[in-house]
Amino acid sequence: MSDSSPLIQARGIQRSYPVGDRTLEILHGVDLDLFPGERLCLMGASGTGKTTLLNILGLLDRPTQGQVHVVGRNGWALSTAERARLRNAHIGYVFQFYHLFAELTALENAMLPAMIQHGPLGYLGKRKVYKERALELLHRFGLSARLKHRPGKLSGGEQQRVAIARSLLLDPPIMIADEPTGNLDQATGEKVLELLFEEQERRGLGLLLVTHDENLGTRCDRVLRMVDGLIQGEERHTREAPSEAEA
Amino acid sequence: MYRFFLSLRYIRMRPINWIGTLSIFVAVSALILILAIMSGFLEKSREHLRGHLSDLVVAPSFDLPVRQTGAMLTREVQPMMDTVLAHPSVVAAAPQLVWYGMLVPPRREGVLSDPSSMGMVMVSFVGIDPQLEYAATSLRKDLEIEEKHLFGARPDDLDDPFAYPKNYEPDPDERPLDTILMGESLAKAWGLHKGQTLELATATIDPETGAFDQTANRKVLLAGTFRSTFNEMDLQRVYMDRRALGDWLGRYDEYSQVVVKLADYERDAETAKVELRRDLAAQNVLHPAPESLGDPDYPWELLTWEDNRRSMLAAIENERALLGIMLGLVLLVAGFGVFAILSMMVSEKRRDIGILSALGATPKGILSLFLSIGGLEALVGTVLGVIAGVYAAIYIDPFEQWLSRVFGIQIFDRSIYYFDHIPTVIEWTGIVAIAVAAIAVALIAAAIPALRAAYLNPVDALRYE
Ligand SMILES: Nc1ncnc2c1ncn2[C@@H]1O[C@H](COP(=O)(O)OP(=O)(O)O)[C@@H](O)[C@H]1O
Ligand SMILES: [Mg+2]
Repeated sequence: MSDSSPLIQARGIQRSYPVGDRTLEILHGVDLDLFPGERLCLMGASGTGKTTLLNILGLLDRPTQGQVHVVGRNGWALSTAERARLRNAHIGYVFQFYHLFAELTALENAMLPAMIQHGPLGYLGKRKVYKERALELLHRFGLSARLKHRPGKLSGGEQQRVAIARSLLLDPPIMIADEPTGNLDQATGEKVLELLFEEQERRGLGLLLVTHDENLGTRCDRVLRMVDGLIQGEERHTREAPSEAEA
Repeated sequence: MYRFFLSLRYIRMRPINWIGTLSIFVAVSALILILAIMSGFLEKSREHLRGHLSDLVVAPSFDLPVRQTGAMLTREVQPMMDTVLAHPSVVAAAPQLVWYGMLVPPRREGVLSDPSSMGMVMVSFVGIDPQLEYAATSLRKDLEIEEKHLFGARPDDLDDPFAYPKNYEPDPDERPLDTILMGESLAKAWGLHKGQTLELATATIDPETGAFDQTANRKVLLAGTFRSTFNEMDLQRVYMDRRALGDWLGRYDEYSQVVVKLADYERDAETAKVELRRDLAAQNVLHPAPESLGDPDYPWELLTWEDNRRSMLAAIENERALLGIMLGLVLLVAGFGVFAILSMMVSEKRRDIGILSALGATPKGILSLFLSIGGLEALVGTVLGVIAGVYAAIYIDPFEQWLSRVFGIQIFDRSIYYFDHIPTVIEWTGIVAIAVAAIAVALIAAAIPALRAAYLNPVDALRYE
């Protein structure tokens, strides 16, 4: 797997924040590679800088030091518009708090990346294709009866499934998920993860997953442990089937 | 695409956005209505100021010799009239003989008089040829008044306004009386009726020596009243037959001035002024140039009605400018409404902005999203505001009556003004200017929060739930 070129290649990532008249360094030089088809888990205590790192890898936040290459392109050397296009087409995000638009229906939320990618004419020309794709995803995720619902009318698990559909709409090679089950109860979280893994498998995504759940480690290809802004350990696994069957 | 989609959705889903629209709507409709009413009032004031004034007045300075030749001007009216009427822009002209004097109303019980004037009123006597005057000025219309007061009364025969009233019996022992026409308000102020006799008093000048003669009094008969739009003028003007006045004064002048009506005042006034000056100077009935009379900047001898009312018209223009500034302030307030609503929205939608960023929206796209929201709000507010403003301006009278009924107070007191409905003028250029300014102000007001949104750090925006 490591012979193909990485989807994300980060080297010497440092990130510090000015706090008062001092600077607070959160990341002290992180190296990380994410390969196609790989399930990469990032674990660590709260406040160690996992989200900070993910934001940098996902080209949302600029590192104080170090470089991030996404699909071979130096992300922070690009123009703002090019970087935005890279995010749009190559990276799917799933957040802990779903982050759906309260004003849009489930279907509209799922179609938003396509609206961002295209101008009005381009979008209207391809709207059918995207709608079909979004419908297919939402059907697969068991949301057929929820298409016209707004997030306020959906349960947490349903919202997160809409968010996953949204992240997959443009078929990106990379998926970044920051504690996607952190806000869900155990059973719902399991189902959402199952769905995420299934899609990862089906599409051969490079999945970068932040989680607290130690049980998940065995279901990932690699587990990185983060301590105080540094990656302190790496475990490799051969994937297991889900350890516990759902109710 | 998301910009249009989301801006429409945000506006539709968040009723608070209508506050921005509402502020623009209120400002635009109020501005249009105010503009229409103010323009109406200003136009009425212009009309009012103009009163009986004809388009042009030619008033030769007879007593000054022409500087270039030393000759005196002709005092005969015919060369003046012929030359003026020969000009292609002139449709009518009428000579007037103007003199000043007093009116001595008969003493009546119960009529208050100002003690300082000893019961006399300063007036100007204007000697006219009725038919010529009718053609050149609004006199005929002013005489055709609706007789709403006890004291107002039109002459019995408009074609011969100086004829005796039908029921008047001349005293065979006395010299036949001359008749006069006076302003309705003057008659009312002194309690004078048609058919009543009164006395005029003046001093005359000896034509040879130029010295003041004895005072001259004359008993006259009131043959009718007129009402122009300029009340102040109605209070101090008395019309007589031009020959009767000349005879009384013993003047060798046939006229003091000629009033002129042009075919199209707006179009012809300025050129006609120059050409008439040239033609009249060639006939030796006018001085060749204003310079030869002293102040070259003053439109001596040949004045348009606007020249005559210059300072008052300037006040009106000034009012217009002041109005513009005030209206600008109203728009500023409306702009602030848009600014406040959009600022609130940007703060509230921080998370959405972060998501858009994460999903690949550019700062430029986010900027235009919020600009479109402001622009759409402004557009809707402006369109509705124009419709409502124009509608209110057209139906101002029923609207005002409705308001008066609902609130029980008289908003527009018709007895104060000379018009019985609220004057409005719909000026499309002004309306377009208001609409464009409203949208521009809204866009500028929207730009500030929109820029803030565009440069929001997506990580900060996404951090909190
Ligand atoms: N903008 C910021 N300014 C100052 N400190 C920050 C900022 N963002 C994150 N931090 C700090 O960085 C540390 C790591 O945060 P985070 O990456 O969210 O941790 P994790 O996701 O591992 O729980 C925390 O101590 C947090 O307080
Ligand atoms: Mg975190």
